[in-house]
Amino acid sequence: MAKDLSTDVLVIGAGPAGSMTAKWAAKGGARVLMIEKRQEIGSPVRCGEGMSKSWLAEVGITPGKWINLEVEGARIYSPSEKVFEINEKHAGNEVGYVVERDGFDKALAIDAGNAGVDIQLKTAATGLIRENGRIVGARVKQFGEPFEIRASVVIGADGFESQIGRWAGLPTNLALRDMDSCLQYRMTGVDCDVRYCDFYLGEVAPGGYVWIFPKDHGLANVGIGVQLSKIRGMAEAKTYLDRWIDAHPAYAKGKKIDMVGGGVSISKPLNQTVTDGLMLVGDAARMIDPLTGGGIANGCIAGKICGEVAAEAVHQGTPTKEFFQKYEKGWRAKLEEKLFRNWLAKEKLCTLSDATFDKVIDALADVRLQKLTVHNILKAVRDKYPEITKEFESVL
Amino acid sequence: MPPNKRSLHIESSGQLCIYCGACVGVCPLNCIYLDETRITFDEKICTRCEICVKACPVGAIEIG
Repeated sequence: MAKDLSTDVLVIGAGPAGSMTAKWAAKGGARVLMIEKRQEIGSPVRCGEGMSKSWLAEVGITPGKWINLEVEGARIYSPSEKVFEINEKHAGNEVGYVVERDGFDKALAIDAGNAGVDIQLKTAATGLIRENGRIVGARVKQFGEPFEIRASVVIGADGFESQIGRWAGLPTNLALRDMDSCLQYRMTGVDCDVRYCDFYLGEVAPGGYVWIFPKDHGLANVGIGVQLSKIRGMAEAKTYLDRWIDAHPAYAKGKKIDMVGGGVSISKPLNQTVTDGLMLVGDAARMIDPLTGGGIANGCIAGKICGEVAAEAVHQGTPTKEFFQKYEKGWRAKLEEKLFRNWLAKEKLCTLSDATFDKVIDALADVRLQKLTVHNILKAVRDKYPEITKEFESVL
Repeated sequence: MPPNKRSLHIESSGQLCIYCGACVGVCPLNCIYLDETRITFDEKICTRCEICVKACPVGAIEIG
């Protein structure tokens, strides 16, 4: 039996970017349906659970029970474990909360629901519906039952694995160097410092880093990202992570209570994230910060703009590629420059040897930088290790 | 299996696979499918490029 539906805006995927888009489209007066393929929003968690916090108010998110703790800063460890501390004063918004990601995702979905968004679980998109060259909805399967959802605007918020972007013909494919393979354990009985998120760079994690994000005293997310162009064999993420843990008694003594994996894009911004009838947002639009691998803030910031533009397009009856340039320009104005800059920095950092990393971090650790500017960093490196200035300069 | 193709095996019974979807996301031909606790791939489309083998964080994908 046909139970075909129609709505103004169909949001596919109920992660942070999807919920934000849905909420702001509903607040703009559109009828919004958000579908989620899983039975539970936010679960299973596939995330390191660290995020910055300065952007939350801007997009209308109120801090809630999903916050585990607030950290004071980040510590960057070089291969020989010289440490450089970035505290809130220096880093501005780069440090923030460690969160319960499932709780965070649910809080955002609740916000969306309260704004009037209809939410349907166990509903997976199986294809897009096209008419006269434009996307006018999606075919879905709900509890195994196939039907169609017609919509003026379709939003692909389906994460790193995004099928929607590919079905829409948008160029979302990634080069090997622009993808990370990630694995993380939640570990109890470890000596983590709840004041800091820790990052270990260099050959311990080729092209990526090992992270320690404290969830509580003695409890931390211990994870790794390795770049696909830097690895050769099978299970490299696990091999490198296990090796790192074995080499660190403070963590080797811990017990694993959870294990999550996943892919992360660390690419340049896409050239195109919209087409007639459709917009992509969040990880699906490759908005993850290529230096940190963080995607929540960017997905939410873009999601607000995406939702607002979707509602406008509905009111004006203009769900066209041309009209969606407003979203394309809007999210780029906020995010593109930094994404591109951080992609370049990522590309350069990957070329530094462990020895150079050590010197850079050592030079930085020596000086109490008042403010973390390119100029101050370069000066610190130039003063102590002039011989690596040239190599390092290109990173900045 | 076509004679010119090597075999690809995705262990998704749960012995190795953690259903993280990394393989799905990295496949340049979009021919790996994750359905809750089952991962399949399209034998005819797959070119054995091995990107999924690298991306799998736990080594659940093997190519022969």
